[in-house]
Amino acid sequence: MALSLDYVARETGTNLWRNRLMTVAAVLTVAVSLSLVGAALLLKQGVSTATTRWKGGVQLAVFMQPQAPPDQTRAVGDKLGSMQLVKRTTFCDQACSYKEFRTMFANQPDLVQSAAPADLPPSFRVVARDANHVQQVGSTLKPFAGVRNVVYAKQSVDTLLRVTGIAQAVLLSVAVVLLAAAAVLILNAIRMAIFARRREVAVMKLVGATNWFIRVPYMLEGVIQGLGGAFVAVCVVAVVSFLLRYSVQHYDVTLFQSIVVSGHDLFLTELAVLLMGIVVGAGGSALGVRRFLEV
Amino acid sequence: MIRLDNVTKTYKGTVPALRDCSVEIGRGEFVFLVGPSGAGKSTFIRLILREETPDRGQIWVAGWNICRLRHWKVPYLRRNIGCVFQDFRLLPNKSVFANVAFALEVIGRPKSMVTAQVPQALDLVGLREKWDCLPSELSGGEQQRVAIARAFVNRPLILLADEPTGNIDPGTSAEVTRLLDRISRTGTTVLMATHNDAIVNTMRRRVIELDNGVVVRDEDEGAYDAPVAPYDVPDAVAASVEPTSAGVEGLR
Repeated sequence: MALSLDYVARETGTNLWRNRLMTVAAVLTVAVSLSLVGAALLLKQGVSTATTRWKGGVQLAVFMQPQAPPDQTRAVGDKLGSMQLVKRTTFCDQACSYKEFRTMFANQPDLVQSAAPADLPPSFRVVARDANHVQQVGSTLKPFAGVRNVVYAKQSVDTLLRVTGIAQAVLLSVAVVLLAAAAVLILNAIRMAIFARRREVAVMKLVGATNWFIRVPYMLEGVIQGLGGAFVAVCVVAVVSFLLRYSVQHYDVTLFQSIVVSGHDLFLTELAVLLMGIVVGAGGSALGVRRFLEV
Repeated sequence: MIRLDNVTKTYKGTVPALRDCSVEIGRGEFVFLVGPSGAGKSTFIRLILREETPDRGQIWVAGWNICRLRHWKVPYLRRNIGCVFQDFRLLPNKSVFANVAFALEVIGRPKSMVTAQVPQALDLVGLREKWDCLPSELSGGEQQRVAIARAFVNRPLILLADEPTGNIDPGTSAEVTRLLDRISRTGTTVLMATHNDAIVNTMRRRVIELDNGVVVRDEDEGAYDAPVAPYDVPDAVAASVEPTSAGVEGLR
């Protein structure tokens, strides 16, 4: 199929310009909803970085000395394995600690650079059978040879996880509703564009234009609307992320202090936002073309 | 070029629009399709264009059995068929040139071909100097000639004309028909559905008459009405039922 770029660009451009009010509405709706999605994703990643040690309901971490000999480590491991009060335990060796360390301090490269895996303590992550016995497990292990210290999951971690969990759920559900609205707006824009050009479409069918040739300008129109919204959302997310980092550094906001979003996470979030914009645009227009453009 | 074998087409819940029609039309022929309204002329044309599929029978167009044609191949069939209608179907916001060029552009023909063939097509219909006009600035006959240029610009094997003279005055109708005749001489098969008895009677070409969905007459060098045997119908009665032919003198 010879689809000339020139033709497609011209047709799509005219369509967008003719329906500019609809286009603006669709783009804004996509932008708002994707901004919410992006914010929710950032929050999720930030919290997950802040609480990386406490994933999976871990209540207690037993840190060994970095230089602790293997038999001391084994002794602690065996003790944990034999205790009735312990439900589950996982071991995080020095390589694993290093990885965690790098995640937690992702935006302090100096610190990451100065540390090597050998400087970091291996640790046991413990889930107790009963939350009330966590303290007891900790004090049993504290006196063991080679144990550096025992750290308990604090109440604040719990609160942080709960609060941000609710915030995420709210953000995401509002975003889903808005995304659906955006898809419908795009669908309607496509429908209007097709109606405005029904004469052209009839002639095109008559002289033997292929179905894809007729469809592509309309599909592209939807994709551009989605992409436009996504682009705005990408900017919003970048600004939000910057403000978050700035406020963490300059103000003493206890709740957010440990929330860190690395450049890598931000990039992935932006990518996800862009992709969702394209999907919503393409989805809305594909539906519109299917329903209103009989070829 | 066009062959119908025992074609029957019934629209939902009505009497058959075409019943057991068998017709063969060769390359470069000029054929009139006549018959009263509702006789099945439009169905005949829609079937050839594959806007409809028959309930029974087979249709061959330009070497393809179009009943078995896959949906996505239909556009390629239509590139071999030019179409002209009573209501011209020009795009009102495009110039004469752009209207004709549109037919080439949307089937992905390169610009060089557009700039070469559109002026030729406009020459053929005698409208080259009006290339920049909008359809609304042209007379009905001129608009129909633009439509013919658009139908012919891709050099189709077949040209279908559904009542092309239905909206224009008798003198211009004759001119449009002569144009179609000239196109048929280039080897294009022309099928013209018409109510215009004057034109049919003047041109004396092959006439296929449909009545109630049945081919009742297929006659070379035919007239609009079937030859009436004198003992069948008195002349006076025949004259009173025949439609008056306003443009016939102008044509002769």
